[in-house]
Amino acid sequence: MKKLILTLVAAFGVVLGAHASGGEGIVWDKAPSNTNDLPALQNGAKLFVNYCLNCHSAAFMRYNRLRDIGLTEQQIKDNLLFGDAKVGDTMKSVIDPKQAKEWFGANPPDLTVIARSRSGHGGTGADYIYTYLRTYYRDNSKATGWNNLAFPNVGMPHALWELQGQREPVYESRDVHGHQTQVFTGWKQVSPGTLTPLQYDQAVGDLVGYLQWMGEPEQNNRVRVGVWVLIFLGVLTVFTWRLNAAFWKNIH
Amino acid sequence: MAEFKEISPNASATEKLVNWFDNRFPTANKQYREHMSEYYAPKNFNFWYFFGSLAMLVLVIQIVTGIFLVMHYKPDAAKAFESVEYIMRDVPWGWLVRYMHSTGASAFFVVVYLHMYRGLIYGSYRKPRELVWIFGCAIFLVLMAEAFMGYLLPWGQMSYWGAQVIVNLFAAVPFVGPDLALLIRGDYVVSDATLNRFFSFHVIAVPLVLLGLVAAHILALHDVGSNNPDGVEIKAGPKDANGNPVDGIPFHPFYTVHDMFGVAVFLMVFSAIIFFAPEFGGYFLEYNNFIPADPLKTPAHIAPVWYFTPFYSMLRAITSEMMYALIACVLLAAGFGVLKARLTGLTKAVLAVAAVVAVVLMLSIDAKFWGVVVMGGAVIILFFLPWLDNSPVKSIRYRPGWHKWVYGVFVVNFVVLAYLGVQPPSPIGERVSQVGTLFYFGFFLLMPWWSRLGEFKPVPERITFAAH
Amino acid sequence: MSDTPVDTSKRTWLIASGCAGAVGAGFTAVPFVSSFQPSERAKAAGAPVEADISALKPGEKMTVEWRGKPVWIVRRTPEQVAELPKIDSLLADPKSERKPDELTPAYARNEGRSIKPEYLVVVGICSHLGCSPSDKFQAGPQPSLPDNWQGGFLCPCHGSTFDLAGRVFKNKPAPDNLEVPPHMFVSDTRLLIGEDKKA
Repeated sequence: MKKLILTLVAAFGVVLGAHASGGEGIVWDKAPSNTNDLPALQNGAKLFVNYCLNCHSAAFMRYNRLRDIGLTEQQIKDNLLFGDAKVGDTMKSVIDPKQAKEWFGANPPDLTVIARSRSGHGGTGADYIYTYLRTYYRDNSKATGWNNLAFPNVGMPHALWELQGQREPVYESRDVHGHQTQVFTGWKQVSPGTLTPLQYDQAVGDLVGYLQWMGEPEQNNRVRVGVWVLIFLGVLTVFTWRLNAAFWKNIH
Repeated sequence: MAEFKEISPNASATEKLVNWFDNRFPTANKQYREHMSEYYAPKNFNFWYFFGSLAMLVLVIQIVTGIFLVMHYKPDAAKAFESVEYIMRDVPWGWLVRYMHSTGASAFFVVVYLHMYRGLIYGSYRKPRELVWIFGCAIFLVLMAEAFMGYLLPWGQMSYWGAQVIVNLFAAVPFVGPDLALLIRGDYVVSDATLNRFFSFHVIAVPLVLLGLVAAHILALHDVGSNNPDGVEIKAGPKDANGNPVDGIPFHPFYTVHDMFGVAVFLMVFSAIIFFAPEFGGYFLEYNNFIPADPLKTPAHIAPVWYFTPFYSMLRAITSEMMYALIACVLLAAGFGVLKARLTGLTKAVLAVAAVVAVVLMLSIDAKFWGVVVMGGAVIILFFLPWLDNSPVKSIRYRPGWHKWVYGVFVVNFVVLAYLGVQPPSPIGERVSQVGTLFYFGFFLLMPWWSRLGEFKPVPERITFAAH
Repeated sequence: MSDTPVDTSKRTWLIASGCAGAVGAGFTAVPFVSSFQPSERAKAAGAPVEADISALKPGEKMTVEWRGKPVWIVRRTPEQVAELPKIDSLLADPKSERKPDELTPAYARNEGRSIKPEYLVVVGICSHLGCSPSDKFQAGPQPSLPDNWQGGFLCPCHGSTFDLAGRVFKNKPAPDNLEVPPHMFVSDTRLLIGEDKKA
């Protein structure tokens, strides 16, 4: 009967698995996997503190937690603390929420767990943010002058535009499912940024890695501890299995 | 004092201590013997019999981790979300306690569904165990309430909007609905007042009820003795020199040791999830719940947590179109009862009138209300199972082969309904869940008829047991 | 029992499983017990606190909060400083020799128990059972105080008295002098409580 159940479940799974993931925005690229790469995370922290913290807070993240990615308290104090923040404080932004709402239409959301909250059908939250930060384009019909392919009509301007420069998307008219649609085919660099496209992608990869790490600073430790726990439980399972067998051996 | 047991002065200190204790609290040893060392359970328990003890283990895990979480959690709408992140980051090992509790909640339902399925296939709900089954259904209902209230506590977007939607379901009840919803919420929308009272219920009121029901469930079981995969009553079989069933063995040490093995395997799966995939693809910790609750903005896609989704599918399936299908079913059933069944004239008249009243109500009251009725009914119908099952045989092992397919389809149907409940609504999804809802109810309501069809195999006198 | 040899496998696996189980239980208990320890938030809140003493006049006291405790900064007059050695015989521990590591850092092991004789910095919590003593800077006889009172503090809970260097008087319920917290002058007008210059 178990085989029957499994076959039927598999059959249904195939039938129902093929459904469009639809929704707004383009397909997400895969973010690099770098939560174990300390230099990348440190670079990401630097970018975060310099480009994001002005408007976005990370109110659940303490500065001194950055010790976990290989920085000393002195390094944090010298390079990553601004204003009168202390190393034991949480990363609060100084923007006035009321003014922010006036300027951007919404208060910039807190970014502490943004990489966890944005996961979806298209991929992980990191994939989404990686795509989002790399698909901004000039759009003079918007109040900020910027629009985004991953989050159409977003209220946030391109905070990293100086690094990436200004770009516009290129569309081609193609036949999709029987009608002519505008299909996105690539980018046109309108004015250069201080980084080459490859350097920019790497920088964003570092920033996204940092956001992913910040969402759950314990993640690397969690996996490490887990390996030991599972090894121990494996041994315990063998012991209890043999113990059970020893007792039931003589039952007929 | 005259009943005190004397002990020889030459006995060891330990024996004297045990004797002192036993003279003043004989209940301890008596209960131990009655429920463990002299409780004779059938020898032939299989894989499906692990889940009762695992359910108890998960209950203990939830209580212990819950106690530690409450040391740091703040049940205040302005502080709740932050306090959970505080636990995850600032409290030493807080992340582990949190993940154990969130994974435990889902594990509880996996274990309980499997435990209930065992009851279904082996006829464990049949006489004389109807009350054990009823207590169990009550536990299931209370567990759903506990999980629902616990889910509000992190105060994320899913917490907030899930609670908003479900409490509004109560508002669908005619006449008293809106006032009832107001009473539950303590406010006009889900708010700090709701959070605080759900906290009180989730942490103390409902766990106490749950513990009481679990005690009743186990004591009622021990009073009549456990069933087994063959559905053969071991107490009706031969007894040994001490009057104990030959087909039984003392629960302790045989099943305590057996269950320890089950616990070890369970802990491996449990730990693998906690340490390597605590979000479990967004099913155990939903992505939207990492956004603090915003009463002004509903997420694009709300769904209840996975363990509620089969019932949620049924709720969504009841559209105004579906009402016609249901009305047809009511008329068919009434027609059959009046024309074909062997009932008294009075009963048939009452049946006809009831059917007419039902149809009138179904035409006049919104489908939304009937959706709630169907969803609730899907759980309530479980309580009636002992009286719906008309099979001459208890266990699926001795039923006609095709009955196994019926149970198999029931399981697949349940899983499909669960899957559809997670997805956003779609035309195909709606049709499939409507068919699925009809099958679910048909399985139970038509059981008095189909459970008797087919060629039943002869039930053995003694259990079938293969030596380990 | 049959004639088969004694079965030791049950015992072996019982011991093995028992030990593994006990070890597992121990390892499981560690995270739970550790969660009782002060969290990162509590530790961050325990960070040093700055006090601006520019407005403090001689004979006045100001209070700052450090680690949830009141820290008193008293600007003593030259007369008050001069009186301190004269009452040594009335004190339980005039030279602050008891528990020096806990109560009196090296730079406070002097007559005035301070870095600068003018400024006393002590934690305002009685060493008896933790109440916060009241100011009694006025010299002369007063209720609950001796006739030759030179100024100091009186604890309302059980009557312990301390002088203007935070030293406890003899025969009082409180056993120890008031704690001098780690502190340092970052400038002439700013004190940092909770951190000091390690020699």
